[in-house]
Amino acid sequence: MDYVPHSQIPGHKIKQTGAVSLKGIKKQFNFKDRELKVLSEFSLDVQPGEFVSIVGPSGCGKSTLLRLIAGLDDTYDGTIALDGQRVAGTSLERGLVFQDHRLFPWMTLEDNIALALTNRQISKDAKAKLVADHIALVGLKGFEKAFPHQLSGGMAQRAAIARSLVNEPKVLLLDEPFGALDALTRVHLQGELQRIWLAQGSTMIMITHDVEEALYLGDRVVVMQANPGRITHTVDVNLPHPRDRASPVLHKLKDEILAELTNVPEPSNPIVRLIKGDDQ
Amino acid sequence: MKPDLKLILSVGSPLLLLIVWQAVTAFKLFPPEVLVSPTAVIAAFGEVITTGELQRHLSESLTRLAGGFTTGASLGLLFGLALALSKTVERVFGPTFQALRQVPVLAFIPMLILLLGIDEVFKIVIIAKAAFFPVALAAYDSVKGVPKSYFEVSSLYRAPWWVLISKILIPATIPNILAGVRLSLTRSWLVLVAAELIVADSGLGQMMEMGRQMFRLDIVMVGVIVAGVIGFALDRLFQLLQAHALRWKTA
Ligand SMILES: Nc1ncnc2c1ncn2[C@@H]1O[C@H](COP(=O)(O)OP(=O)(O)O)[C@@H](O)[C@H]1O
Ligand SMILES: [Mg+2]
Repeated sequence: MDYVPHSQIPGHKIKQTGAVSLKGIKKQFNFKDRELKVLSEFSLDVQPGEFVSIVGPSGCGKSTLLRLIAGLDDTYDGTIALDGQRVAGTSLERGLVFQDHRLFPWMTLEDNIALALTNRQISKDAKAKLVADHIALVGLKGFEKAFPHQLSGGMAQRAAIARSLVNEPKVLLLDEPFGALDALTRVHLQGELQRIWLAQGSTMIMITHDVEEALYLGDRVVVMQANPGRITHTVDVNLPHPRDRASPVLHKLKDEILAELTNVPEPSNPIVRLIKGDDQ
Repeated sequence: MKPDLKLILSVGSPLLLLIVWQAVTAFKLFPPEVLVSPTAVIAAFGEVITTGELQRHLSESLTRLAGGFTTGASLGLLFGLALALSKTVERVFGPTFQALRQVPVLAFIPMLILLLGIDEVFKIVIIAKAAFFPVALAAYDSVKGVPKSYFEVSSLYRAPWWVLISKILIPATIPNILAGVRLSLTRSWLVLVAAELIVADSGLGQMMEMGRQMFRLDIVMVGVIVAGVIGFALDRLFQLLQAHALRWKTA
């Protein structure tokens, strides 16, 4: 099958902005008197409007990477640029959705979303319209006055997505956004996210531990390994959106990625090396 | 069915206490100089109300409470916030604060009498001291306890500092601060009555002390009951205020 650039997929808005460029990112935490190398020479270029999924073992630095892109952490080596501009601190151009919804429990759904607009110099009416539009976008019409504890996990996560999109960021970062949801809700929200992405056209970088989800949504799937966190493999998924989950291509790619994720020699762990001794 | 049972029990238990009390005095199990009968107390109630004595003492006490409590709680709030928000304040005052709050308020009475005499200022100071610590501690703990994730969300959306304070920090800390204020309110009342028993020329505690000196145990009992009812009412009123402030929790 030929590669179909996402920008040529029918129905997908063509975007000129939202190119994310990561060059030689190095990140370490100083833990007591020990240095913990979390990311090493991490480089990745994401095209405007592209959907990139990142999978990798837990602790390989995926969340750390997104926090760097979002600007929540500024201590690293290398460069992170959005449309050629080096990022500094947080910005409304870069949205972030966490695994937990992080809605404020004392605010109604619409107040939670409106909080994201407190730094925007637009009229009250314009703000109200943005909030209403984004509540509708994630299918939560009728729940404007609900408090987070009155929403199901899936609804709360949708609200979190609405909040992160209300500023129409050039790039949306998603850190295991469906990781805490049950399987059915997850499948449903994957479809929703795809619809939103097709309608909105912003660049998306999503971390997930679900390889199937990564392949179903991503134009590209980046596979990471730990110690230190780095890219070991990139898989192009040359299938038009929306995709058929039963596609044999997806299944083949899934098997490949799973094999890579589960069959990596771990030089740091002598026991694993011993058990896996025959294969090497 | 269940709420009815609860109601019967909550009305019934004080009623039962009253009946036992009446029975004990009717059978003269204790000499009347030690335990007076409920009917005598009711009579004394009528007496102190018609003479206006009760109203006068009570309004003295409540004025004192208002002054001392408001001063102490406001200072406690400001101090607790400063302690939580400033590293310098924490380093300078932290250890003293932690040590002083372990000293019972009443232990300060002798020292304060020497310093301030037994005038109005002394009473205000002693109540303020009682009100100060629970509020300061609650403010400190609750600000320290605001999750990092709240600051991160605020930073992601570049919320201005006044939004961070008014829409995030205050709502996040208000439940614990209100709990601290409530504790300090009831504490202040207890300390006030106790302080008036020891040194005062007016107030509910003083009314009881005078009653004791004149062997009017019925008046002492009136004081005990009024002190209890006022404490209970203050706590309940504050609970209502708390429930109103936190109505999003139950909405
Ligand atoms: N603030 C921090 N201080 C010290 N170590 C951290 C901090 N945040 C993350 N780490 C460490 O960095 C590594 C990568 O963490 P993370 O990015 O959360 O991994 P992932 O999201 O891939 O599971 C882990 O070993 C974690 O313990
Ligand atoms: Mg993570």
